[in-house]
Amino acid sequence: MKKSGPEISRRNILAGALYGAALLGLSGCDKLFDRLQRSRKVQALLASAEGANRRFLRLLTGRRRLAQEFEEKDISRHFKQNGNPPPDAQEYITDAAGGWSRWRLELDGLVERPARFTLAELKALPARTQITRHDCVEGWSAIAKWKGVPLAALVERVQPARGARYAVFHCMDRDDGGETYYESIDLRDARHPQTILAYEMNGAPLPVEHGAPLRLRVETQLGYKMAKYIRRIEFVADYQKIARGKGGYWEDRGYEWYAGI
Amino acid sequence: MSDLVYRHNRITRAAHWVNAVALMVLLMSGLMIFNAYPHLHWGSKAEPEAAFFSIYAAEAGGELRAYTELYGRRVETTGVLGSQNTPMGPTLRAFPSWITIPGFYWLAGGRRWHFFFAWLFVLNGLFYFIYNRANGHVSKFILRPRDVPMLLPMALYYLHLRKTSPQDGEYNPLQKLAYTSVFFILTPLVMLTGLAMSPQIGVAFNWLPALFGGRQSARSFHFLMAFAFALFTLGHVMMVVTTGAVNNMRSMVSGWYREKFHAAEAMALDVPESAPVESTPEPAAETIEAPAPGAEERGGDEKERP
Repeated sequence: MKKSGPEISRRNILAGALYGAALLGLSGCDKLFDRLQRSRKVQALLASAEGANRRFLRLLTGRRRLAQEFEEKDISRHFKQNGNPPPDAQEYITDAAGGWSRWRLELDGLVERPARFTLAELKALPARTQITRHDCVEGWSAIAKWKGVPLAALVERVQPARGARYAVFHCMDRDDGGETYYESIDLRDARHPQTILAYEMNGAPLPVEHGAPLRLRVETQLGYKMAKYIRRIEFVADYQKIARGKGGYWEDRGYEWYAGI
Repeated sequence: MSDLVYRHNRITRAAHWVNAVALMVLLMSGLMIFNAYPHLHWGSKAEPEAAFFSIYAAEAGGELRAYTELYGRRVETTGVLGSQNTPMGPTLRAFPSWITIPGFYWLAGGRRWHFFFAWLFVLNGLFYFIYNRANGHVSKFILRPRDVPMLLPMALYYLHLRKTSPQDGEYNPLQKLAYTSVFFILTPLVMLTGLAMSPQIGVAFNWLPALFGGRQSARSFHFLMAFAFALFTLGHVMMVVTTGAVNNMRSMVSGWYREKFHAAEAMALDVPESAPVESTPEPAAETIEAPAPGAEERGGDEKERP
């Protein structure tokens, strides 16, 4: 019937689209993605999946559910040292050699009772030992045995004030440019039974390359959340005024704040 | 002689193209994520010496040489995998920049693209499934036990070793096998292995990473399944091209597919000269698979859907 008219134009449109796609494929795909990549709007849209991930994944997880715990025989022979090199400040080096007699953990910010602990005091508190899998954002995993103080006990001790939502970990390690590492988790993860401040790894004092004297273990999230070389835990209502405002060293460089995926 | 039939409804077409874009972005951003640690392991942990697959590069005599290794068998892949020649000279890179999103090394960026499009892929797939389940279309491409004996004859027909096609529905048995396995096996598995890598999911369901043999196994399966998807897509595109590229593309863009049939069959249909065969249902009748006149009688020979 009269199909030939629209058909030809359809074919033309289609051929045009195909040629366009081919040209794009040949010359522009990289450039197109590069432009999309650099667009703030596109990045904001892509980043919107983070909230969906957090809500969806946490909806599936009860507050008391535990990460898988392994056996001694599963412990990795090699646990990759990642991130910044150990702090090179003279006081850190001397203190490490002297058994951390000068180091203190400070807990402050939006809390009823700020507190301060020596390493010996932390070790005197009830401890938790767990053999867990460390999942790096890069894709590798390693298993180790960690012993430390459940963070929930310290949160209980300092009593977060009304409005306190996050625990921010201030660290002693710095990158090449001198920026210090920091991280933040919310109080839900801070109170998780397996969230501990570890001072022992595989039955020995926490080695310098893994964050001595104290590092965080958050088994619900990826490795970059687990701050090493901790000196202070600050409780805050929000983290926008800290460093570049995204809640952590890697978050300030584009990684998700919620690293449960 | 030929006529146009309305083959793909609006929802199917939209879902198809969203899916095509999502799969491409997922694959390319997935390769960026893989580049952050270009090794694969079985089990829960990644002992460096125990990778069964690795892409790596090493300096030898002032030159950057790249290798790809599978179960100890090593092939030099300098400039292809493991290193890439750039205007600034050879650089370390497992998969080359033209196949990754972003095209430069940025793990955080790759993850953003991947997770956004993962949601899009899943929600779009669910939307397609629910819509086409409700209208009965899905049941047309599910492989049923009675289709199994026809798989071999269909393959022989494709290989020109058999004259007649054993196809008796809209989809031939091999198509049903392909679509059923992609839809009901590969897609759920790629989703589950992806989720099994999430530490939070590991807390919610300890059994999920364990189901695949540990988190590193889940990661390896996820990677292999991405290649299964890529292979399926390659096969799919080849079928599109070899069975009439323009016609197939038109049917997935506008919905209209030109059915060609042999003169002998046309005679058998006994269509009066005056009656135009090309009287097709109006596009307004969006209600799927418009029954073109005589569509049933003609059998399915020309109806391969890539």
